[in-house]
Parts: sequence; structure tokens; C-alpha cells
Amino acid sequence: MSLFSWLRPDGPKLTLEQQQRLEHLIAAPELSECSLREQRWVVLDLETTGLNLNKDVVLSIGAVVIEDGAIDFSQQFEQTLQREDHKLSPAVLIHGLGPSAIAAGSDPAEALLDFMEFVGDSPLLAFHAPFDQHMLGRALKDSLGYRLQHTFLDVADMAPLLCPRAHVSKAGLDQWIDYFNLQVGERHHASADALATAELALILFSRARQQQIHSPLNLQQRLNQWKRRKQAHSF
Amino acid sequence: MNKEDAFTQAGKTAVLQNIHGTMQFLQRFPPFNQMENAHLAYLVEQCQLRFYAPGDSIIKPADGTVEHFYIVKQGRVVGERPHTAKGGTETTFDIATGECFPLAALLGERATRTEHLAADDTFCLQLNKLAFIKLFALSSPFRDFALRGVSSLLDQVNQQVQQKAVETLGTQYSLNTRLGELAMRHPVSCSPTTPLREAVTLMHEQQVGSIVVVDEHKAPVGIFTLRDLRQVVADGTGDFNQGIERHMTQAPFSLTPDHSAFDAAIAMTERHIAHVCLVKDHRLCGVVSERDLFSLQRVDLVHLARTIRNAPRVDHLVAIRGEIGQLVERMLAHGASSTQITHIITLLNDHTVCRVIELTLAEKGDPGVPFSWLCFGSEGRREQTLHTDQDNGILFEARDAAHAAEIRGKLLPLAQQINQSLALCGFTLCKGNIMAGNPELCLSRAEWARRFAAFIREATPENLLSSTIYFDLRVVWGDEQGCEQLRHEILDQVADNRLFQRMMAENALRQRPPVGRFRDFVLTRKGNEKATLDLKVQGLTPFVDGARLLALANGIEANNTLERLQQLVAREVIERLDGAAYEEAYHFIQQTRMQQHQLQTRENLPYSNRVDPDSLNHLDRRILRESLRQAQRLQSSLALRYQL
Repeated sequence: MSLFSWLRPDGPKLTLEQQQRLEHLIAAPELSECSLREQRWVVLDLETTGLNLNKDVVLSIGAVVIEDGAIDFSQQFEQTLQREDHKLSPAVLIHGLGPSAIAAGSDPAEALLDFMEFVGDSPLLAFHAPFDQHMLGRALKDSLGYRLQHTFLDVADMAPLLCPRAHVSKAGLDQWIDYFNLQVGERHHASADALATAELALILFSRARQQQIHSPLNLQQRLNQWKRRKQAHSF
Repeated sequence: MNKEDAFTQAGKTAVLQNIHGTMQFLQRFPPFNQMENAHLAYLVEQCQLRFYAPGDSIIKPADGTVEHFYIVKQGRVVGERPHTAKGGTETTFDIATGECFPLAALLGERATRTEHLAADDTFCLQLNKLAFIKLFALSSPFRDFALRGVSSLLDQVNQQVQQKAVETLGTQYSLNTRLGELAMRHPVSCSPTTPLREAVTLMHEQQVGSIVVVDEHKAPVGIFTLRDLRQVVADGTGDFNQGIERHMTQAPFSLTPDHSAFDAAIAMTERHIAHVCLVKDHRLCGVVSERDLFSLQRVDLVHLARTIRNAPRVDHLVAIRGEIGQLVERMLAHGASSTQITHIITLLNDHTVCRVIELTLAEKGDPGVPFSWLCFGSEGRREQTLHTDQDNGILFEARDAAHAAEIRGKLLPLAQQINQSLALCGFTLCKGNIMAGNPELCLSRAEWARRFAAFIREATPENLLSSTIYFDLRVVWGDEQGCEQLRHEILDQVADNRLFQRMMAENALRQRPPVGRFRDFVLTRKGNEKATLDLKVQGLTPFVDGARLLALANGIEANNTLERLQQLVAREVIERLDGAAYEEAYHFIQQTRMQQHQLQTRENLPYSNRVDPDSLNHLDRRILRESLRQAQRLQSSLALRYQL
């Protein structure tokens, strides 16, 4: 027994079946040298109760898959999570998930298991990925005791890296959607935002190939360099 | 709404938002807007969404048998085909948002013949062939669309036009309706020996305005109408016990049940009759009256034509002319085609011109010299819209120059008066003074012939321009023989003069249709106005000029652009499929132009041929673009033919 186990008296209680499913989840490999087209990607968007990394929780998960270089409409993930002590907050006006929707949602442990099975060993893409990575990581830890180790690439970083001449002010998802004239069904719905992010990603992959970036690993390296350079400049 | 309610309201659960969203997007376009939801959902679920950067090849001939069906979700796709004559490639088509490709190759299970390239940042929904086949089998709107391609789009436009009509007028009825369908009632008929009283009683009982007199084989021999009855009563000499044959109109006009409502309307207008017998195998099978054609309408074509021909003074004509606008609106609404409408406007305009001439002659006195009233340009081609200028002249016979001058002296004051009266009736005075009141346009046959020969011999820019106006000449009033002779001379001279043909071809290429290689439409902008294109000059003129040149060069006498095209096809000057495509395109542009004019009238705006393509609905916009591409094709075929 861990020395600090008393700090977390209520570890996640899982059914036997859930335990088994948890054990069967595939570990995420490092990004590889395969081509961008060969890589399966999961593009993710979360709706949360707010923007506080420590207090707020995940309310819904929307995700689409990029496989064989295209968004595959037959593989989509869309689930709302049931939150018992969910308090209404003004964020509901953004994500549109009212109390009834939350109450009708799935058990978080089930939903998160479903989602991780959907992800498999694919790397994840999101706009402002660190936020989604953190929120999803915390949800997985709280509900399943699972440690998220999948690679996340941030589309918000990919966009300025690959389109250096685009002077997109504020650089939010909305601004990039406008910049590329993307037609988005319903913004601030996890699935619709995930689809918009995926469309953006497809454009960016095309730009990446034009700039001789051919593999996911290559892309990750270039992103890291770019971020280092940017940090260096800001000092 | 309080905060709590707003929160609840926001809590709507959407199942698979992205499938739903994409379905909604597709439902803005045919054929998806007609497909069942389940079929459409299946389509979307089976799709992949792909991105193509500008210049990326989507499919090309070398890829082999086509394995996917594509729908443009965003952006633009162009077809590039190797150019046979010039080398390089030419853009053969343009595919915009909501449109699909490559249907022909997919159905023919072959490779595409054209490389499809992305022209802009483009997203396409890609459906695999198995799913395509399944949808093809399941969904009949989808199947119809795939099989009929763009021609089914044209049908839809026509339906749309009619539907708008029904909305504003509340009646469903098309001028293309078979007469057989219109004449619902059994015809009221009697034998020639039936006493008049008995026949009128029959008409009264049956509540009809006419009775057809038939022989023992049921073949119509006469017709008796309420108008005839009025005559009998007014004369006061009729014995109502006499047989009806003494009072009937003999040999009534007839059509078959397969003729269209339009045919009947035209016949009534031309012949000043109100009833048409329907005859099949020499037997009477129905009667169509003016009322059947234009029921529920106060003003109608036949009535209008009759009122024009009987107008006692020019100011009456002015008043009647306003009703032509209303008539056109109703006809457009009833699904009349642009050809039918230009035909009717020309017919009514001809009636007006004739009446103005008759009234002027009555007022000023007959000069005692026979003359023919000519018209040129669109009036000559029978392609007038409501928005029209005067282009006219006078033709007369004279012994020599001195005699011609003498006659001219007599006719000019009359001609000038006619021009002024026509201006009052809404035929704008011609800015270029192409009017019969101009001494240069009031000529003897010999003078006209000399003038026309000079146009052909000396191909100066002015002469070329003149030939595009004058060579579409036609007689509106008076003897037609002199004009026919002039036409034959023109045809002979043009056929012999290859240089003139070449110059005319150059002239016909001056107006380029406003579709660009890389943009949908090439628009011009003046000052702060919205960017627009000119439907007449940039859309119709290429067809009119091309058809005129080819008709004159090939001895075709017709004036009307569509008739010229049909005869060019009949003589194998142009291919049948090309001819049909030009015809359809011309038709559509003309139709769009008329709808614009109607809209402008309704909004009290001045007439203009300029249109902002963005103001059209998606389907119209797309077909307009394709129609303009056909104009481009006609021009390139002229360039090839005359090696320009």
C-alpha cells in the first residue's frame, strides 16, 4: 500500500469487466517515420465545465478519425458524460450541454473506456492540445486510474508553423476557420469542433508535404524546434 | 427568458452532430434535397472527406477505372483536357460547391477522360463505388440525377419557375400542356340541319359559348358561337327555325389533341378566333376556348391582340401596351419558355406596329404608293423583349433614282409620324437613328440592294456593325416579295465572299462570355456598383452573331437565332449535340434576362441587362455558368472554322 493512499481514499471503483477492458487498452507508441498519410490520427475536442485546469471536468468528448489521409465519416466518437454533482455554470451557454443532457449522459468510466478503445494506439490532434491533454488525462486518472501517455500534437502550433505568412491575429480556432474559409456546422459542439479541427489538420498536412515534412515524427520534431525558437525569441 | 431556462434550452442532445451537419449541408443541393433521410445518412456515413490543395490532381485518366464518386464540399474543381488543335490544355468544365463528379465515367465503369484538378483549396466528400451502387439502387432521385446529369437540372429550373408562378397566381397550368388534357368536357355538337333555336338551347343548357356542327362522320363542318348569335339577333332577319348551317362559320380551324396550349394560343391570336376544334382521325373530339386557355385571367393574349388591332386611336394603343407587361409576367409564371414569350411579344409588337401604320395612314391620308415596313435587329429576329428599341425602315419599288426621290418625299413625313407614334407606345426611338423616318432608311429596292452589297464588299468596322443589324431584316407590314429578293441577294453575296465571312467571324468573337479560367464569372465593376455581367451583350450576342454568320454563309433564310441553329443542324453545318446544347444555353440566358426585367419592373427600377450572379439561386447560377461556357465553345468553333 502506498504511503499516500490515504490522500485518495476513494480510488476509482471499477467493475470486473471494466478492469479487464482497462488492461486491454493498447499502449501508445512513439511517433514513427511512416508517411503522414499512413498514420491514423484521432482529432479530439472536449467540452468542459470551464477553463480551470484543476477544478473543471470533462462534459463531452467529440472525435473524428483521419485515416488514409482523409476524414472517415464512418469512425466518429460522440459522448456526453454523466456528472452527478454537476452545477450549472455560464459555460453551458457556450457548449450547450444543459442539465438534462448531462443527466442523460454515459457513465464517465464507460465513456472514457469507449473513447480509449476508439483511440487505440493513434496519436491525438487537438486545437490548444495541452488543455485537452490535461483535462482528458485528469479524467482518465480520476475515473479509471489510467495514465494517458499518447502523443498529442497541437494544431494551434502546426498552423502558424506551416503557414508562416498567414497573419492570423489572436490565432484561435475561429480565426483559422475564417482564414481557410471552412464551413462549420455548429461551433462549440465537441464533434463539430473536432471536425473543423480535422479539416484544418488536413490542410496543414498538405502544407507540410509541400514543405518536405513527410512523417509524423518529422512533424513533431519541427514543431518542437519551432516552439523552442519562439520561446527563445520571447526572452 | 431567465437564466435557468436559457440553460435548459441550450441542453439539446444531438446524435452524431457531424453526420447531421453534413446532411444539412448536402440538402441545399440537388439531388440530395430530394433524397430520403435514411439514404442520405447512409451516403454521409460512407464518405471520406479529403482535402486538395490548388493544382492537386483528384482523378486523372491514368488512374484507370473510376472507383469513387465525389461531391465538392468546398472549393472548386476544374476539368483539364489536352487541347487537340493548339496543344496544351483547355478547361472544359468547372465544378463548384455541392456538385458531383465524375458521373459518366463512374456509370460507364471506365476511366475519366478529363483530369480533375483542384482550383482552390478544396474539400471533397468521397464515396466508394460499392456505396454508390447501393444508393443508385435504393434512391430513385439519386438514380435519376446520376443518369440524367445536368439536363435534369434544367428540368428543375423550369419546375422552379413554374412553382414560383403557382405561388403568385394560384393556378397550375403550363403552356406546354396537351390540348387533349385541357379540353375536359365532351364537345357540344349538332348536325347542319339542326334548327338554330334548338342549337342555342343546347348551348344554353350545357353552358358553353360554342357549338360545333358536324357531318354524319363526326367531322366538323362549321362552328356557331355566341358572337355569331349576337350577329343573328342584331341583324334581326334570322328565323330561329332555320337550320344552323345558314349561320355557322364554315370550315372551323382545328388542331389535334397532341398540339400544345401554346399552339392554340398562337392560332387564336393570329387568326382572331376564340375557339379551336380538336380533331383526331377526322373526328371531332373536343373544343378548346380562349377561356379554357386563360381561365381566371382578366387580360389575355387573344383579347389583347384583338384590342390592339381594333384600337381606334394611338393613345388607346399606349394604354393597352401596359397590359403586355402583365401578360408576360403571367406567361413566365405559367412556365412559358423564353422562346414562347419572345414570340408572343414579337407578335403583339407586330400587331401594334401594323395598327400604328394603319392609324397614321387613316389620319394623314394614303400616299398612294405601295411600301413595306421593315424591321431589323432583334425585332427582325423575332427576339424582342419588353425592353426594346425601334429599328425600322421602308422599302418601296421605284423606276429610277429620280422616281425613288419623289416617292421618298411622299413617304418620309408619314414615316416620321409613325416613328413618333411608336415611341409613344413604348418603342424607344433609336439612338443610332435606324428608323424609317431617316431618309437613308427609306429606300427603293435598288437602293437597299446597293447599300447591302457595299456592306459585304467593303468590310469596314461600321459596315460590319451595320450588317449585324440590317441583315436580320423582315417585313412587318406590306408586301413581302421585295424583302425576299433582297435577302436572296445578301445570301448569294455572303456565300461568295470568304473574306467578309472571316471579318464577321472576327466580329463575332469580340464579346467574350464572362467565364474565366480560374474564376466562375469574370465581372465588371463600375465605381461603387456591385460587380455584374451583361446577359445580353456577353451572353446572348455570341450566339446571335455566331448563328447569323453561319446562316448567311450557308444560305439559310431564317432570321431567328434558334431557327438558324436548327437549320444549321439539319444541314450538318453544326453537330446535333452541339446545336442542342447551344439552343438550351441560349434559352436559359434569355429566360434569366426576362426574369430580371420582370423583377426590375416590379421594383420600379430601370431596365438593365446587367445581373449580379450572386443574386441568383445556386442552381440558376450554375446553369448560367454552363450556358456561358457553351457560348465560349461556339466562339472557339468559329475561330477554328475561320482560322482566327
